[in-house]
Amino acid sequence: MSNIAGKAYAMNVITPIRWYTTWTNKLFFKAALLIPETLKGLLTLSLIHYARWVIIPRDGFPRLDPSQPKEELHYAYMLFFSNFNGSWDQYVDSFTFAIPSGLDLFWKWNIRYPKSVPLTPFHDYIRHNQIDTAHYYNAYPMAASNDVKSAQKVKKALIDFNAKSSDKSADDFLKDYHMLLNNLQHDFGDMKPTPIVSLSSYEVKKRYEQTKA
Amino acid sequence: MATKSGNATALTVLSPIKNGNLGETSFADITRERCLRLPIHEESPLAKVPNTYLARLFILDNVFYESLPANDSVFNFSDITSIFSDSARKKALPRKDTLKSKYLVFSSNFHGDLDTYLTGVWEKWSYIDHEGTQRDVRHIWEHCVAFDRVTDASSFIAYIKRCQLDASLFFNGSTDDSLQEQLKSLYLKQEFTKFAVEHQGKSASEIQQDFKAFIARVQPENLEGPTWQAGKSTP
Repeated sequence: MSNIAGKAYAMNVITPIRWYTTWTNKLFFKAALLIPETLKGLLTLSLIHYARWVIIPRDGFPRLDPSQPKEELHYAYMLFFSNFNGSWDQYVDSFTFAIPSGLDLFWKWNIRYPKSVPLTPFHDYIRHNQIDTAHYYNAYPMAASNDVKSAQKVKKALIDFNAKSSDKSADDFLKDYHMLLNNLQHDFGDMKPTPIVSLSSYEVKKRYEQTKA
Repeated sequence: MATKSGNATALTVLSPIKNGNLGETSFADITRERCLRLPIHEESPLAKVPNTYLARLFILDNVFYESLPANDSVFNFSDITSIFSDSARKKALPRKDTLKSKYLVFSSNFHGDLDTYLTGVWEKWSYIDHEGTQRDVRHIWEHCVAFDRVTDASSFIAYIKRCQLDASLFFNGSTDDSLQEQLKSLYLKQEFTKFAVEHQGKSASEIQQDFKAFIARVQPENLEGPTWQAGKSTP
């Protein structure tokens, strides 16, 4: 099992939901798409690379051949996949503290969803419904989501600066260079492998070293 | 469509695994072991698939029974029937679902359109397994239902699309640039940070001269290189 790839953690959660109430969740998701401000809380958290919610109707599990038994389910299911930075606790807690009401709308009427506040029942619910990842790949294990976003700014600023200022007189160049550094203060940073924050990340590191040997 | 966010795409695939065994091991367990044994980081076969940001594989063995208490104000109202009889109380419990197949779940976040991406998965996915054998993508999907009909890129694309589920909401907290663009930007961020630290307090003409050499070395607009390798896990 490998829920961790560098600085990213892969979370998979599957929860049942009454098939006749899924339209409410779909409505909330649609509203979130149409009114991006509703996702501001998630953007502010700034620890997610990509996340998604998928609703599988109770007759919606892929059936590819008549030889495959047909699923007979009482419930529809909601899948939640996230790629985030930090530890499991940091992530789940930040949801509870930053966007509890939005979270409760997304999981509205999922069977036995305890709501995101208080914390312990919410932890229990996620842990109960979480599935471990067998293989997790991250194109930039040394980078957090914020690194990817700030790198985009650094690249643009560097190209613009080079075009505008590199051939100026040395003094004017220095003035512009200092301005560039000032503007990019929040975007610099030396990216390195993630520190060992848990036994699982230690295991991943050990496994990686074994494969490299 | 919620499966796209700008140029970023969320692919969710549930491929049913055949019920049955090979020797004493179920097809699901064989598939799980193959996923678990995939090399990681820059050695992962997904590092070779163009434009993969983050992706994962796991086996969905079954769904969970919701045995935990909760505070759902509307539906748990039926719990009040417990004051009448034990059987009414039991009926108020959540129903138990059991899947009849196990599913190989492949979830990927990538840049671009689905057909191009899946062609890349079919053509580029390769690795050497723990026994030293060269493998391609068929090794992972081998025991999935109807996968024996997949023979080329177009039948692979058609197969994956039959297993695909649409996302109701795809949240992009990063960028939707091409992976090459993201990796080049990360490389520049790393290198320019070093440059800025090393040149603190130096004279204007020295910084200017070194900056020109720096730009010639890092080639900011050349996405091909120098850059970070996909999956690069050490500086």
